[in-house]
Amino acid sequence: MAQAAATAQPYIPGRARSEVARKTVAYAALVVIAAIFFIPFIWTIITSFKTLPDSVNVTLIPHPWTTAAWREVWTQYSFGTFIKNSLFLAVVVTACNMFLAGLGGYAFARLKFPGRELLFLLVLGTLMVPDQLRLIPVFVMLTKWHLIASFKGYILINLVTATNLFFMRQYFSTIPKDFEEAAKLDGAGYFKTFWRVMLPLALPAIAALTILQFQGTWNDFFWPLILFGQGSPHLYTVQLGLAEFKLTYQTNWPDLMAGSVIAILPILAIFIAFQRYFIAGQVSAGVKG
Amino acid sequence: MAAAATPIPSRRESLFGARLREAGWGYLFVLVPMAVFGLFFLYPFGYAIYISFFNWGILGKQPGTGSIGFANYHQVLHDPIFHTAIKNTLEYTAGVLPLEMAMGLVMALVVNQNIRGQKFWRAAFYFPALASSVAITTIALYLAASDGLINRVFGTSTPWFTTASTATWAIVVLNAWTTSGTVMLFYLAALQSIPTDVYEAAAVDNTGTWRTFWKITFPLLRPAHFFVMVVFGIGALKVFDQQFIASGGTGGPNYSTYTAVLYIYREAFQSFEFGVAAAAGTVIFIGIFALTIVQRLTVGRGQSY
Repeated sequence: MAQAAATAQPYIPGRARSEVARKTVAYAALVVIAAIFFIPFIWTIITSFKTLPDSVNVTLIPHPWTTAAWREVWTQYSFGTFIKNSLFLAVVVTACNMFLAGLGGYAFARLKFPGRELLFLLVLGTLMVPDQLRLIPVFVMLTKWHLIASFKGYILINLVTATNLFFMRQYFSTIPKDFEEAAKLDGAGYFKTFWRVMLPLALPAIAALTILQFQGTWNDFFWPLILFGQGSPHLYTVQLGLAEFKLTYQTNWPDLMAGSVIAILPILAIFIAFQRYFIAGQVSAGVKG
Repeated sequence: MAAAATPIPSRRESLFGARLREAGWGYLFVLVPMAVFGLFFLYPFGYAIYISFFNWGILGKQPGTGSIGFANYHQVLHDPIFHTAIKNTLEYTAGVLPLEMAMGLVMALVVNQNIRGQKFWRAAFYFPALASSVAITTIALYLAASDGLINRVFGTSTPWFTTASTATWAIVVLNAWTTSGTVMLFYLAALQSIPTDVYEAAAVDNTGTWRTFWKITFPLLRPAHFFVMVVFGIGALKVFDQQFIASGGTGGPNYSTYTAVLYIYREAFQSFEFGVAAAAGTVIFIGIFALTIVQRLTVGRGQSY
């Protein structure tokens, strides 16, 4: 519709010229930026089908064409295990965050209880504590409890984040109260109201949270390095495995590029499927940086 | 049915009961999140400061010894490697922040034009932000290797990430590339919230595109500038992954990729000096906090953030 309005305008001669010039510049900029942004990824995929000696040649068609790198990352390095570990952690952490941030967000947005404002202030205070400061004490605590080098430890410290809870609370406060009152008249309890009425109404927020949290956990390098990096290769995630692989094999580029594609691909697939939630979530959960 | 028959006094009691019930459910719902925040964020905050006053190794406090006072802080503040790490981190931030803001703003302006496939371009520019830091750094190391694509195209042979004089700037370019898409999203949201009548007024006055941008759009984006500067500035000061991957965790060559966070990591897991690492963490936290306050008082004056 906006398109039609725009094409109707250029009947004013002066404006038409500047409009055309502006559009030409815009399209040129788009193509140049896109080229700069995408060449590295295209190059990565091409190299993953090359042989090691061929990987330093500036050629677009691999010669000879080979899937050896792809077979090697599966058979010689345990990328299968890495993927399984990453998927497990990402799914569990995301599910816990979705449920607990939803539950907590709902309570802070809607239920009245003494000390609510004070507790919420503590939630916001959590945002001020950076990972770099809590790294040492959290490591010491988990060591004491024998939760280092275990998925349990990782899941425990990532059960729910203040960012997610804050995000859900904000969304719940925008939902009209009529829905809950209707549920109350039907005799639904607080949990049932949350689970059956509020959570489904907050679906766009839940979708954004799910996607960003899954991406965050899948891409996480810092905490897996701290918790599993001290000699637990069977717990390695894709990111940790790839980093270790780079450290050991330095310049085996075709294999490294195949590994990099594996590390990016799942998130790319989710992005293509749920693009609008990604972008909406990124903007509203901006504090995440 | 039975409730209808109950006399008034007990109704008041049930109102009180309902309030109590609501509060009970409220506490129950926030119980687990508050426990997690208390145990893994707020308590560690104090615990980190406590550890920083002890000679603390991998096995805990040195048995039989008490607090060593500010000795760990003294060590950190007089360590030339810490100075280098801080210098590298500030240099990196000073380089990457203006670059990603400029790129993000240009991309937002371009995408915000009345163009075909706006959503596609927006997604395309955001795309590098999706990739994990490990994968993207591995790819960058390949592209910038001495016999990699970049050197082949320009006829040079510098391994940009593993040369002391260029390593920081190579990571600046890498991270500007991956973060500018996210910066773009914030600028785009801000641009779309500027009321169109402002531009209509400019069009009536026959103000040129360039002048309109500098006189109207750019100043109106002030809240967005401030937001991006604070959020991405703090993010930049915490840089770690890219330097870790590029140097294999060593911070080399010649300490050129040693960042503040890498310093904490290495003190803890290479030297097993947990007390020193905690002291460094506290110093860096105070530094970031102070910078945020200064920024808020200067750039952000009069903003409602």
